[in-house]
Amino acid sequence: MENTVSHALYILQEPVQYVCLLFMASLYAMKIYQLMKKPGPPEKAELKGDRYAGAVHSLANVLRPWGMESTRNHMYFYTEFVIFHIAVALTIGSTFLIPLTPWLMTPLVSKVIMVFMGLAFLIGLRRIYRRFTVPEIRIISSPDDYFAITLMTVFFGVGFVTMYLWIQGRPETGWMWIFFLMTTFFLLYVPFSKISHYVLYPFGRVMYGQIFGGRGVLNRNVRGN
Amino acid sequence: MADPAEFKAKQEDTKPIKLGTQEGRKWPIKEGFTPEVLQKMEELLPSKLNRIVATSLAGCIHCGMCSEACHYTQSIPEDKKLLPAYKADRFRKWYKYRYDWMAKVFPSFVGAQPLTKELAEEMYDKLWGGCTMCRRCTFNCPMGVDYGMLVRAARGIMCEAGRIPQHLQDTIDTHYNAGNNMAVPHDEFVETIEWIEEELQDEDGCENYTIPLDKRGAKYFLTLNPREPKYYPLTIQATAKVLNAAGVDFTISSRYWDLTNYAMFNGIDKDAKLFASWIFDEMKRLDCEYLLSGECGHGYRGLRWELPNWLGGVPFKITSVMELFARLIQEGRIKLDKSAWDGDVFTYHDSCNIARSGGVWEEPRTVITAAVNDFREMEHNRENSFCCGGGGGALAMPEFSPRRIAAGKIKADEIRATGATVVLQSCHNCTDQLKEICEHYKIHAKVMNLAELLSEAIVIA
Ligand code: SF4
Ligand code: SF4
Repeated sequence: MENTVSHALYILQEPVQYVCLLFMASLYAMKIYQLMKKPGPPEKAELKGDRYAGAVHSLANVLRPWGMESTRNHMYFYTEFVIFHIAVALTIGSTFLIPLTPWLMTPLVSKVIMVFMGLAFLIGLRRIYRRFTVPEIRIISSPDDYFAITLMTVFFGVGFVTMYLWIQGRPETGWMWIFFLMTTFFLLYVPFSKISHYVLYPFGRVMYGQIFGGRGVLNRNVRGN
Repeated sequence: MADPAEFKAKQEDTKPIKLGTQEGRKWPIKEGFTPEVLQKMEELLPSKLNRIVATSLAGCIHCGMCSEACHYTQSIPEDKKLLPAYKADRFRKWYKYRYDWMAKVFPSFVGAQPLTKELAEEMYDKLWGGCTMCRRCTFNCPMGVDYGMLVRAARGIMCEAGRIPQHLQDTIDTHYNAGNNMAVPHDEFVETIEWIEEELQDEDGCENYTIPLDKRGAKYFLTLNPREPKYYPLTIQATAKVLNAAGVDFTISSRYWDLTNYAMFNGIDKDAKLFASWIFDEMKRLDCEYLLSGECGHGYRGLRWELPNWLGGVPFKITSVMELFARLIQEGRIKLDKSAWDGDVFTYHDSCNIARSGGVWEEPRTVITAAVNDFREMEHNRENSFCCGGGGGALAMPEFSPRRIAAGKIKADEIRATGATVVLQSCHNCTDQLKEICEHYKIHAKVMNLAELLSEAIVIA
């Protein structure tokens, strides 16, 4: 697939995206710097386990749904989570592949991305419904929670149609414009929204893994004393 | 006197004993969240934000996966405001108001709120009276939000500003003033230990058993929960019996023997460090090899995992009687007669601080299965065990007692399902809570610790 697009769309797909990406990266760097400036709790106790192995174990938690009761008992929810996040990764990937390496966006690759986008769109709808209707979720939800999931769901919907048209050999459509305008908005908005949770995710998991790995609670290989 | 070190130590022993800090401290507790209290809380917030607390406050995605993890939500499902994320949000809203970028422009969009009297009151209700810091939700949170640390930080801020349940703070002030949290005087403690020793020597085959006080150079320095000399002296007797039977070289300090540290629950690090330092000093004075925690959940965690951090490391080893008992059994140093407990059905409650936050859950099972024939696990056990409801200082907050008993329902249901006639545990707060919930939910089971279990089954050579 050749990327024969107008100069205007090229500007949106490339220079604008790079500037926005730089903006996002700078804000994330600031976030991480602010966090790392804070004191990390020390561990001076004689360890029973391995803090490093605990951190790795904890980071890999996402791949072990049987590891937590909350995912073990709700495999359907977990499956949705996995599909949704794969779709996020593929969608972000496609915003790079489309302008930079359009030849990689073969019909097969595009179809796979499209299927994930479609599924994520449906999952998003279900998650919005859940947030509105399940009382315990509703009482903890802020407008940011509703906005973030709605935005993602619309993005997947737009991406789905865009991808369909791309497969038909139509690289420059109104949908493509909306798709990249939304991408631009995401890059500027996400550092301020709950969607930026993925930046904090490794920190939370690593610290949890270090504490409980060191105490011999996680991936037990316990030294006695 | 040949040995100057011994001479110095002897001199120290004969100095008048000044337990506690001798200041008669009474924490200045305020009646409500006045503007001054709120202002003080604002000032304190930054000092409590270490990396874990800040990540836990910023990292919640409101997914609700913790909703089924908490014994409050399981036991009181009609009250949705006991959901872990909802409770933590009482603190998080204020944190976001201060630190979230979006909240600077659109606070309500991200659920941020300024610290008002109403928000602070909700925080007080939920984080003192609606969370035992058991961390079961943490273990079920995809983001690793650490409720133990987060809630302790919030409590520390409230406490320092003067808002803490009176009885809980009284317990800490008593520890501060008297050297132990039940103000057991030195003489009374020594007399109690001597009396327990006599009682122990009256048991068949135990004539030569001793409970050495202040024995320098003993291998183990055994620490106690003040409830033991005060209300449950038989648990000291049982522990001493097992240790003597196995030939363990141990001692108890006549001065600082209290292993509890309720400053873990009010979030005041200065007090936590002070209480820990007394035990540390006794370890140095008695020159023991191991600091040995008695059967006490938060006390064990405080000594084993927190004390070295508060004091910047320690030059000795720290363990617990739960682990020591298991080792003595594995090494064949004590012989047990399982038939002593025939007719009883046993289950074991894993204290959150010992298991989930402490990594000790197979050792108690080694002990139990060596001593009884009929042991049955509860549905949720080991690191997945539900809190009994008595953790986090809950037993020292009578104003929240109805909720505490209600929150124990899931544990009571699981005990009932085992058909146990004896509920074993290794924690004094758990003991009291389990006794209360067994009575309240009409479960006919005794509550007992591991030393009592072994003491009955032990075969004296
Ligand atoms: S599971 Fe963790 S991230 Fe999800 S709502 Fe609970 S605390 Fe927040
Ligand atoms: S720490 Fe325990 S009591 Fe507190 S919210 Fe989590 S599960 Fe509930």
